[in-house]
Amino acid sequence: MDFGLTPMQEEIRTNVGRIMQRFGEDYWLARDEDHCFPDEFTDAMAEGGWLGIAMPEEYGGAGLGVAEAAVLMQTVAKSPGAMSAASAIHINIFGPNPIVVFGNEEQRQRWLPPLIRGETRTCFGVTEPTAGLNTSSIQTRAVRDGDQYLVSGQKMWTSTAQEADKILLLARTTPREECERPFDGISLFYADLDREHAQVREIPKMGRHAVDSNEVFFDEMPVPVGDRIGEEGKGFQYLIHGLNPERILVAAEAIGIGQEALDRAAKYARERVVFDRPIGQNQGIQHPLAESWAELQAAWLMALQAAWLYDNGQPCGSEANASKFLGAEAGKRACERAMITHGGLGYARELHIERLYREVLINWIAPVSPHLILSNIAEKALGLPKSY
Amino acid sequence: MNIIVCVKQIPDPETPAASFKVDEQAKKVIPAQGVAPVVNPYDPQATEAALQLRDAAGGGKVTVVSLGPDSARDAIKHALAMGCDEGVLINDDAFEGQDNFQTANALAKAIDKIGEYDLILMGRAAADWDMGVVPIGVAQALGIPAVTVAKSIEKDGDSVKVERVLDDGFQTVKAPLPAVVSVSNEFGEPRYPQLRQIMMAAKKTVEVWSASDLGLSPDEVGEGNRVLPLEALYIPKIESNVEIIEGESPEEKAATLVARLREAKLI
Ligand SMILES: Cc1cc2nc3c(=O)[nH]c(=O)nc-3n(C[C@H](O)[C@H](O)[C@H](O)COP(=O)(O)OP(=O)(O)OC[C@H]3O[C@@H](n4cnc5c(N)ncnc54)[C@H](O)[C@@H]3O)c2cc1C
Repeated sequence: MDFGLTPMQEEIRTNVGRIMQRFGEDYWLARDEDHCFPDEFTDAMAEGGWLGIAMPEEYGGAGLGVAEAAVLMQTVAKSPGAMSAASAIHINIFGPNPIVVFGNEEQRQRWLPPLIRGETRTCFGVTEPTAGLNTSSIQTRAVRDGDQYLVSGQKMWTSTAQEADKILLLARTTPREECERPFDGISLFYADLDREHAQVREIPKMGRHAVDSNEVFFDEMPVPVGDRIGEEGKGFQYLIHGLNPERILVAAEAIGIGQEALDRAAKYARERVVFDRPIGQNQGIQHPLAESWAELQAAWLMALQAAWLYDNGQPCGSEANASKFLGAEAGKRACERAMITHGGLGYARELHIERLYREVLINWIAPVSPHLILSNIAEKALGLPKSY
Repeated sequence: MNIIVCVKQIPDPETPAASFKVDEQAKKVIPAQGVAPVVNPYDPQATEAALQLRDAAGGGKVTVVSLGPDSARDAIKHALAMGCDEGVLINDDAFEGQDNFQTANALAKAIDKIGEYDLILMGRAAADWDMGVVPIGVAQALGIPAVTVAKSIEKDGDSVKVERVLDDGFQTVKAPLPAVVSVSNEFGEPRYPQLRQIMMAAKKTVEVWSASDLGLSPDEVGEGNRVLPLEALYIPKIESNVEIIEGESPEEKAATLVARLREAKLI
């Protein structure tokens, strides 16, 4: 049993860490305030070849595993960039997985290299106003019309749709009533986000202002049949194939943010003197921080184990879910503790803690909530009756 | 153009002051727990200079050399990922505790063993001891010129034209090749290796040479044979006091202040 990072993973951490150092806390605070997408950062990541870390080598990627991608995302998030940085590239890292696994050769050649080079930007259209965790309830329709489909309906929360020219889109090709099982009749497309037929409206939200999330309204948006991934009606199965890696990456990001908050809190606790001694000398301050250290460390080991299982072709559903659950809880708690450690300053924008806190909550809520994770673990790992 | 770059792995200069400890008895720095060593920050600049010169010359080879523990392989791998061609690690327990002069001597022996070179580049100093003497020591041992603290380097026929950073300006000098040049941060930002290059570097083998491979005898190397014996190693105690100078008028306060500064031998 080897718990160490491999030399390659160490290299990833060092080199990505160097890129993150070029984008300091002022840069990220400014992006949070001006709501501008961090183009300079995504360009730097594309230039370094990092967007293709988990993509096959024949399309310009590096062909590395989820463990390496997790180290990458943890390093990106363990910086003042937090989720503003991570979300700006998150979809590139594992989002194209259905294309890799279920797309045909022509599609892979056409789509993957420009994504890896950072020339095209994509977004992920799954959630709808009436379909969140219950994905099978999606109502967006793709109706066959000759050699194309016409897509109509509404997506919700679609992140980066303001910048994206492509969308990985889940839509119904057969109405739910006509399907044997609720997850049948859903197809997956990698489509041009054609602004003539798709209206993108930003949702004002609590944090991560640099990276937009949107409502997208489709009005008979044409999608060529050649842009459908795999078979018609099997889209949901294709989508869930990539869910475990995504959970691991979301966990890694939450853990990174928590570690960033914790580092800042420990530094402040060493330096801030109240009642003639550093506040960090009080156990009331140091114990919660030590607890966070332990929680983050444990969540990280869980995430690495889930990644190892995935990379070695073993089932990892409960482990990936557990890492997302533990990582988000630990990250959230670390930010909360960092805030109280900083006292009033924790609430000031210039100290960045409040921003980390606003951003880590995304990892807590999305893409799957703690409730559903626990329901899933209860069912799959403990054999309890399905509750949802 | 064949260039040899010397790089060093050092304790992370960002290590919090509270974690920096020395063992006064053993006269050694105690490595900070959980803080990984890093490449000396000036060395990627020297590496960058080497790569630019190689490419401007339209070919040649850049060899990276590091003397240090096994972990110094990482510093070499980083330079390989940036685009260097070959790497050599000089690694031997016998080097433990030796000084800069012995290190310069060992590096010079390694450079001799590599053989063909037009230029040797190093960082202006290692940020751990910050002495900046190894480049000069290597030049001395090889009997070639040394030019320190370079801001820019240009090959000019059989010589190099180097712009040096001085305290009060810049100085341009020319030296015949081969020469040793130490590179300063004014050279500019080094490149960031791409993921593919990192992966290629990971696959490259780094040659490892011991003291005896370099023809160094046991009575030349290690702590016992230091040229510069280390008498004591300690963290200086810095005490700070605040004294408010009182007085009726600004003139009186100024006069008292001057008197106090004289007393303290500060002016
Ligand atoms: C910042 C941000 C960015 C996002 N980006 C994207 C994106 O790019 N693309 C995309 O497709 N989606 C995106 N999402 C959407 C996200 O994936 C969903 O919000 C998430 O899946 C939850 O769905 P919902 O909001 O509809 O919640 P609902 O499904 O309505 O659930 C509401 C609450 O009820 C709980 N609940 C529901 N059923 C049960 C049950 N049986 N037992 C116990 N509790 C239950 C849930 O856990 C949750 O707490 C984003 C969301 C956010 C906040």
